[in-house]
Amino acid sequence: MTNLTASIPVLRRFDPAVLTAFGCIVLLLLIGSIINENFLSPDYLLQQLQVGSFLALIATGMMIVVLLGQIDLSVPWIITVGGMMSTAAAGWGPLGATFAIPVGVLCGLAFGLLNGIGVAYLRVPSMIFTLGINAVAQGFMIVRTGGFAPQDMATESMNALATGRLIFGIPNPVWVWIIVGAVTVFLLRRTVFGRAVYAIGNREVAAYLSGIRTQRVVLAAFAISGALSAFAGALLAGYSTKAYQGMGDPYLLPAIAAVVLGGTSILGGRGTYLGTVAGVILITLLQSILSVVQIEEAFRQLIYGAVIIGMLLLYGRQNRAV
Amino acid sequence: MDASASAPLFRMEGVSKRYGGVNALTEADLTVEAGRIHGVLGENGAGKSTLMKIMSGVVQPDEGRMVLDGREVVFANPAAANSAGIVCIFQELSLVPDLSVAENICISNPPRRFGLIDSRAQRRIAEEALARAGGEDIHPLAPVKDLPLSRRQLVEIAKALVRNPRILILDEATSALTAADVRRVFAVLKRLRAEGLALLYISHRMAEIAELADECTVFRNGRNVGTFKAGAKTDTEIVEMMIGREYSHAFPPKPAPRAAGETPALEVRSLSWNNRLKDISLSVRAGEIVGLGGLDGQGQRELLLALFGVLRGTSGEILLDGRKASLASPNDAKRGKVGMALIPEDRKTEGLMLPMSVRDNLSMASLARFSRGGIVDRAAESQAIDEMIALLAIKTDGTAVPVGTLSGGNQQKIVIAKWLMTKPKVILLNDPTRGIDVGTKAEIYQLLRKLADAGAAILFYSTDYDELVGCCDRVLVLYDGAVGRVLAGAEITERALVGSALNIGGGQAEAGTPALAGAGQ
Repeated sequence: MTNLTASIPVLRRFDPAVLTAFGCIVLLLLIGSIINENFLSPDYLLQQLQVGSFLALIATGMMIVVLLGQIDLSVPWIITVGGMMSTAAAGWGPLGATFAIPVGVLCGLAFGLLNGIGVAYLRVPSMIFTLGINAVAQGFMIVRTGGFAPQDMATESMNALATGRLIFGIPNPVWVWIIVGAVTVFLLRRTVFGRAVYAIGNREVAAYLSGIRTQRVVLAAFAISGALSAFAGALLAGYSTKAYQGMGDPYLLPAIAAVVLGGTSILGGRGTYLGTVAGVILITLLQSILSVVQIEEAFRQLIYGAVIIGMLLLYGRQNRAV
Repeated sequence: MDASASAPLFRMEGVSKRYGGVNALTEADLTVEAGRIHGVLGENGAGKSTLMKIMSGVVQPDEGRMVLDGREVVFANPAAANSAGIVCIFQELSLVPDLSVAENICISNPPRRFGLIDSRAQRRIAEEALARAGGEDIHPLAPVKDLPLSRRQLVEIAKALVRNPRILILDEATSALTAADVRRVFAVLKRLRAEGLALLYISHRMAEIAELADECTVFRNGRNVGTFKAGAKTDTEIVEMMIGREYSHAFPPKPAPRAAGETPALEVRSLSWNNRLKDISLSVRAGEIVGLGGLDGQGQRELLLALFGVLRGTSGEILLDGRKASLASPNDAKRGKVGMALIPEDRKTEGLMLPMSVRDNLSMASLARFSRGGIVDRAAESQAIDEMIALLAIKTDGTAVPVGTLSGGNQQKIVIAKWLMTKPKVILLNDPTRGIDVGTKAEIYQLLRKLADAGAAILFYSTDYDELVGCCDRVLVLYDGAVGRVLAGAEITERALVGSALNIGGGQAEAGTPALAGAGQ
């Protein structure tokens, strides 16, 4: 790959990891088309993008946190909080129904802020603190549903946002992904916040001594991650028409894998959003192929995990530049 | 071993190395003989570090060959070079701070017993190695992080000696040492020479080369520009070889002392912190360069950090332009009406993000100036960056390359430029010329004086007495966390600085400051 990038001038601009990810996507598409001839039909591919866009929202938040050299393990239950709180809000009457998604997102934001306070101000390692917040969010949701039964049905607008195709026949969640992605690219490349994220991920001491308010940046990054996870949860609730406990459980490993397979250094400081896009598509296609192949769920999990580890060994851990 | 043989121990022929488009080393030749000390001189970026890295197997040459004991050798990695008897002590310290001295010394090959590390043997080996390296007073079980920089350097030498080198390469080995430690290291190096080792000694300090070396080689722009017997050329001639131009006065002239009446730009009253800073009072007026002297580790670093809002729990007052300032973070210090800047001690870990671009690093501290509503105005940013690169004559292959690819002197210029972009009124510098070449040093001295003349107040810590003598209007000599003596004008001489650094107080060296224990002997 390195030789290839060196010899083709156009490709040299891109990160080798991102190129490899796109190469793997092409490979998976080929494998998929061999297994099933419908795999390459536009409709099927759009459906994959639709499914992938939920993961993409989560991976976007995760990527910002990983760029800081941190990690957010509270993703599973913040997704669930987002889904369950927005459907609950829909049960509060017409006003609640209108603001169902914002309510879910705000709850996720609140948990994200807690993560940020713990990591940035209390200086607890994010791996521990976010895992704790995950448990807290889980307990919180169980307590809520234990005593009484809040509404768990998604509103029609949630359903429409998650499954409709308003413009050009492209699924609405894909549009959401495009908007969130564009904002993220702008945030990372053009704003003081973005510069600070990369600076802190590279060397926090130097960033602090440069007068960057590192604690605020870390707080904001975790808040963004929480809000995006909860947003994805609300959309997922709309997609499957209801919210349920454990709905976020399958998303933690894929989110981290998508970020790292996209070339973002797990140590922080390096990575592009284009890479994360590639990582999300890669993971989604892999899941899709595995579900098409008729095998037992346990084997599917086994292959899935093995392939992700294999790809990481292949190219996800290259040394940092310089 | 066989110094009688006419063939040299080690020979390097036509070695070249390129990094990207930059020729780090071009057809370099070098001959090293047993029982000799070979001094290597050159500005940073002249190719010395690359030469060392190639000899010690860290990087592989693009062209050329190396001959050891008459046989051609290729080192795939540092371990291969080590086992061939070439050991290098790099400029950047390579010790693990949380391990003990003994564990660090034996880190590559710890003595084993029943498959476990034999800590008693390890301690014995460490003690022997420390004795050989002149660090008998360092406790082998002390954690490295508790040692000041100067002691760590001795540990580093001990660690190299454990590997039984035939060729020992020292890269800027004394840049962090106090004068007393330097003498000890020299005695050790001369003994090693007598034992038949070949030593390759890289230094920016001319006097050290003159005292130590048998031969000298000067590098410039990746080429060997001459090898000669030590003492065959004068210092001025050598410096001319290094920089390739006429060597004028390194230090700019000092202005006449200022009137005492003005309000100081920076005033400190009874600053104390954790028993490391004791009741420090000082003032720096606009246009003044005030030096901080004294032995390494007397609180100079802490003082600068305290002024910049980094340390928690300080007592005392800091006044900026006569107004009391409360500085809780570097951000506060930077943003105030009297903007402050701190050039930190270690550019690689505190000053720069090495993998990030020149551009990102340069604007890191001043983004507030180039942004509106949090969005960076790239045109304004680029313009300011270009101006700064031109002003400081920073040599870089564009602004998009990672800062880590630049030479040490240019990296240091980037750190300084990054802070000048904030237009600071008070500039704090923590040993800004450590490990950089003569030419860049001279440029930095000129720059500091220019900034002072333009109205900045400068507080400047240096471990190099020459610098304090040449640059400063006044010098505060710190001893054990307190201001021991203030020297002004003609009083600032190397003799006075050394004298006051060592003698004032004359008191007990505390257990927590082993630097004193060593230097005070």
